[in-house]
Amino acid sequence: MKRILFSNRFWLVIILIILLVFPLAQHSQYYQHVMIMTMMAAVLSSSWNILGGYAGYTSLGHAAFFGLGGYLVALAHNYFGWHPFISTWFLAIIVMGIALLLGWISLRTHGSAFVVVTIAMVYIFRLVALNLPEITNGARGLTQPRPGWGGVQWSPEFIKIPFHYIMLLLLCLTILVSWRIRQSKFGLGLIAIREDEGKAEAVGINTMLYKVLAFGISAYFMGVAGGIYSYFFTYIDPQFIFDVFTGVTMVLIAILGGRGTLWGPVLGAFIMEPLGNWIIGEFGGTQIHLTIFGGILLMVMLFMPQGILPTLSNVINQRHKARMAKVVA
Amino acid sequence: MLAVNQISKAFGGINAVDGCSMRVERGSITGLIGPNGSGKTTLFNMITGFYQPDGGTILFNDRAIHNLLPSQICHRGIGRTFQITRLFWKMTVLENMIVPVRHTGWRTLFSQGVKKHEEERAMELLDLVGLTQFRDDEAHKLSFGQQKLVEFAAILMSDPDLILLDEPAGGVNPVMIEKIMQLVDDLNQQGKTFLVVEHNMRLVMELCQHIIVLDHGQKIAEGEPSAIQNDPLVLEAYLGSTEHAGA
Repeated sequence: MKRILFSNRFWLVIILIILLVFPLAQHSQYYQHVMIMTMMAAVLSSSWNILGGYAGYTSLGHAAFFGLGGYLVALAHNYFGWHPFISTWFLAIIVMGIALLLGWISLRTHGSAFVVVTIAMVYIFRLVALNLPEITNGARGLTQPRPGWGGVQWSPEFIKIPFHYIMLLLLCLTILVSWRIRQSKFGLGLIAIREDEGKAEAVGINTMLYKVLAFGISAYFMGVAGGIYSYFFTYIDPQFIFDVFTGVTMVLIAILGGRGTLWGPVLGAFIMEPLGNWIIGEFGGTQIHLTIFGGILLMVMLFMPQGILPTLSNVINQRHKARMAKVVA
Repeated sequence: MLAVNQISKAFGGINAVDGCSMRVERGSITGLIGPNGSGKTTLFNMITGFYQPDGGTILFNDRAIHNLLPSQICHRGIGRTFQITRLFWKMTVLENMIVPVRHTGWRTLFSQGVKKHEEERAMELLDLVGLTQFRDDEAHKLSFGQQKLVEFAAILMSDPDLILLDEPAGGVNPVMIEKIMQLVDDLNQQGKTFLVVEHNMRLVMELCQHIIVLDHGQKIAEGEPSAIQNDPLVLEAYLGSTEHAGA
């Protein structure tokens, strides 16, 4: 029994079951909404982590791909009638293609220069969206029909449920891919790049290929999430969706939970997103939640510089070691 | 095996390497010596692809390599260590050994990171340098000499034909130097070729069959150790003018 309680698989199954029954058990639209946004934050942060955590390249510009996914899906829905729940998976491949190209250019820079280049990326995307009104409807943004399936619109009581499950599917997929990468030669190479890029190149890792690929893969999930998001809100505009702050938030979440770890970004999202919503609910839509976020982040940086998850697992490991030492003695 | 022809590299207005030619024969241990700033490390960095030469060619097994990426050169079979030891500090010793494993193709890229047979090979090599007990320790926890040995052992994971050692004895205690010399000698017996940059003259003279001397980016002498020790140009480069030295 004890062994089961301490196995990771057991807890994973429990959490998955909770997430599966959540929208059926919890009928409050508000909590359903918060859960969807939390899972989305986990998706964004986890996929950012593939490049930013494993390979150590801090991109603040991943909102560009989130927004691009949103626009592509909205356009395909309005012009061709493609259902976003299906089209988003395919249209994100275009996002990935563009990301591979942009990564190939931007990943020549390192450190702070790379951060600045990625910020510029978001503004370029925003400028393009603002200045192509024939396609993007410019600053007025794009509206989509109310969500539904096969000509039937979903009722307000039901509407969150399909979004909950598609976001859960995306979250599982993102974690699965992130896990697979972490276990693979590719992931080992990415971490080697984070530790010492020149050395990695010297021992035979084609660092450019690895980095660009990581960039592309992380952009793919951004694109899918952006597509679902644009349908969820049925409205997107360039100012809001191509926002550097979106990129900053996913980075903060990853740092808080544990950058470069598989579960850190997920944990971070499940702390920060509900907390942020609670604060806004409690204190109103002021900027106070940003102040509190800043405070929390400062505390974590001071006392757990590696993030919550690595610090916790260190503590548990040391306790385990101490207990083993006692047993041996 | 390795042929460097009329190679040059300038930084700003300074010619770090200036029309230098040299050869490394298969199965040899070749020493590369010269005073500080004579261009040894620059030459190393060009051979391993970290610098693009301004002019000249580098051939490895009769194929040009001077336009390739460092990783491609590594895949052709040249391994190197660094003057200041470079490891993946926060990765374990075992992971440091596994990263250099040569692999190609998309399927292997996403296959298991540490495979059973790779781990076994890594443990064999760690056993060779006597560091098996550190396999799960992060690399930064090791002593300086141990780090050098791990770097050296890790290079062998990619099974290179030619190994470039940049100051293998730099800052290492005498016992460890003996160990490194023994290792190089053993591997040479097994058919590995070495090119060694080193300031420790005893090591160079004992270990190398052939020595090349650089000064101001040019080759000023080459030959057997005994011939180099008495070469007037070499003495001048190291000690200043021979007239003063003789007086």
